[in-house]
Amino acid sequence: MSDIIKLNHVRKEYDDGFVALKDINLTIESGKFYSLLGPSGSGKTTILRIIAGFSEPTSGKVFFDGDDITNLDSSKRKINTVFQNYALFPHMNVFENVAFGLQIKKKDKQEIKMAVKEALHMVQLDGFANREISELSGGQQQRVAIARAIVNQPKVLLLDESLSALDKRLRKDMQFELREIQKKLGITFIFVTHDQEEALAMSDEIFVLNEGKIQQSGSPVDIYDEPVNDFVARFIGDSNILSGRMIKDYEVEFGNHRFECADAGIKPGEKVEVVLRPEDLDITDIEHGKLRVMVESQLFLGDHFEIKAIDSDENEWLIHSTNPTKIGKEVGVYFDPEDIHVMRFGESEAEFDKRLEAYEGEE
Amino acid sequence: MKRIKWSRIYFGFILVLMYLPIFYLIYYSFSSGHNMDHFEKFTFSHYQDLFNDNRLLAIFLETILLALLSSLIATIIGTFGAIAISQTKNKKGRKTLLALNNVLMVSPDVIIGASFLIFFTFLGIGLGFGSVLLSHIAFSIPIVVLMVLPRLKEFDYSLVDAARDLGASTWQVYSKVMIPAITPGILAGFFMALTYSLDDFAVTFFVTGNGFSTLSVEIYSRARQGINLEINALSTIMFIFVMILVLIYYVITNHKTHIGKGRAQ
Repeated sequence: MSDIIKLNHVRKEYDDGFVALKDINLTIESGKFYSLLGPSGSGKTTILRIIAGFSEPTSGKVFFDGDDITNLDSSKRKINTVFQNYALFPHMNVFENVAFGLQIKKKDKQEIKMAVKEALHMVQLDGFANREISELSGGQQQRVAIARAIVNQPKVLLLDESLSALDKRLRKDMQFELREIQKKLGITFIFVTHDQEEALAMSDEIFVLNEGKIQQSGSPVDIYDEPVNDFVARFIGDSNILSGRMIKDYEVEFGNHRFECADAGIKPGEKVEVVLRPEDLDITDIEHGKLRVMVESQLFLGDHFEIKAIDSDENEWLIHSTNPTKIGKEVGVYFDPEDIHVMRFGESEAEFDKRLEAYEGEE
Repeated sequence: MKRIKWSRIYFGFILVLMYLPIFYLIYYSFSSGHNMDHFEKFTFSHYQDLFNDNRLLAIFLETILLALLSSLIATIIGTFGAIAISQTKNKKGRKTLLALNNVLMVSPDVIIGASFLIFFTFLGIGLGFGSVLLSHIAFSIPIVVLMVLPRLKEFDYSLVDAARDLGASTWQVYSKVMIPAITPGILAGFFMALTYSLDDFAVTFFVTGNGFSTLSVEIYSRARQGINLEINALSTIMFIFVMILVLIYYVITNHKTHIGKGRAQ
């Protein structure tokens, strides 16, 4: 697969001095589904606007298919956008909205008709061509917005928080559909979202952003299992984060106990943070547990119980369990060495990858 | 219950008070006498005189031509002015522009008229149709700006991004997206400018030369020469004409806002 978009040292500073992006470098390959994930103000929408051409970077370069497009007007880019509030033209009906881009390009009338029909079919809106925008539900407007973008056959489709206005069920449906459309068209999707579940469910690759910097990039599984710092660990999924100390390779100390772990390449005695995902923790009897905790509260969440427990050192533990336990009961907690993920303070993604390669090579 | 009734009576009283002089005037336009002391016999003779008065008919047509032309030009200039004001990023600059616009709205017509007269004489522009047209355009622009601005405030600027994203040039963004979205405001501005131009007396009085006159000025100068019921007939026609304009304006804006509201959901 070839690189379609490249951002080189992109920095964005607004007139009031606010720095939205600090030295962003990223490469987007063609034909994949990407997510830019981060809390509001993290710079994810700014990246999208720079790729779309609605705003220019203060410094740095944007490449599309190898060409420098940093200063190219958005109307001349082979990129289309699905906007957060859909931005459908209210004085036009569905057909006119979808046909807008092709009419601007002065395409043949019959050709436009065919293309619009096909695009509406793709988003399952057959027979909606003559409806007014006001007659459509939120989900249908969303589909029109997608059809209006894909009808232009862009090489890259940008989606700006496109599902956030829909209710939960519709959102789930649309997630599947978007993925389907992406696979059918075989083009690159770049999806901006603050919803980590959405990003995990849909993406081939995720860029996690915070404070104008890419914190981590990788496949959903990589990011979930091996968060590079506590921001990523906290932002994606629930987690138990404890401070600890590395004893030696494959052994770490936290909560006044030493545990076997799967991490190495960190010098002995270094202070670290340890991440344990709540679903990796199992409740067992006290003899079989690696930790001893007292159950404080228990919530039934439909598919699992969310249990909060406290150990003798006052550390709080979040545990997801399929079986209930009793509040006030002392139980053991078991986890495998691979469930422990050790994070170093201030380690960048590049350093993390390097370390990983080094000690994985040893084995 | 009682309060509602009193308020209605009060409202009715005010309405009657406001419209009574006009209806009094209209009433006597059908009287066969020569003054408004008492109603003699019902007749259309004043209207017949009116339609035989070629000078008056010419003035009538010129007044309408003037109103249409000045409000059309003012609408074009005012619309782009409003767009420019709404896109002024600097808050201070935007407020200053708006204040300058509003000052023109509230300053007395007499002062505006007098200053135009001084201005035209200073520049050596002869008084006549041209000078009246220029001054009507000038005082209509602020009205159009005021009618268009609220629409622009409601306008969703992500539509501009969307249009550019789909390949529209700057001109196409305006012609295909922005102007259609603010059309109700533009139409409202146009009709407001039309009525302002039709009934303006003070400004016009200063800048009409010898050869050219509008209906308002003509009615004024005739009324000064003594009461003539032909003027009543003329005023009646003008009143009906303006009423029709207002009606058209309401039909158009109601129609548009109805659609606009329906679409906003």
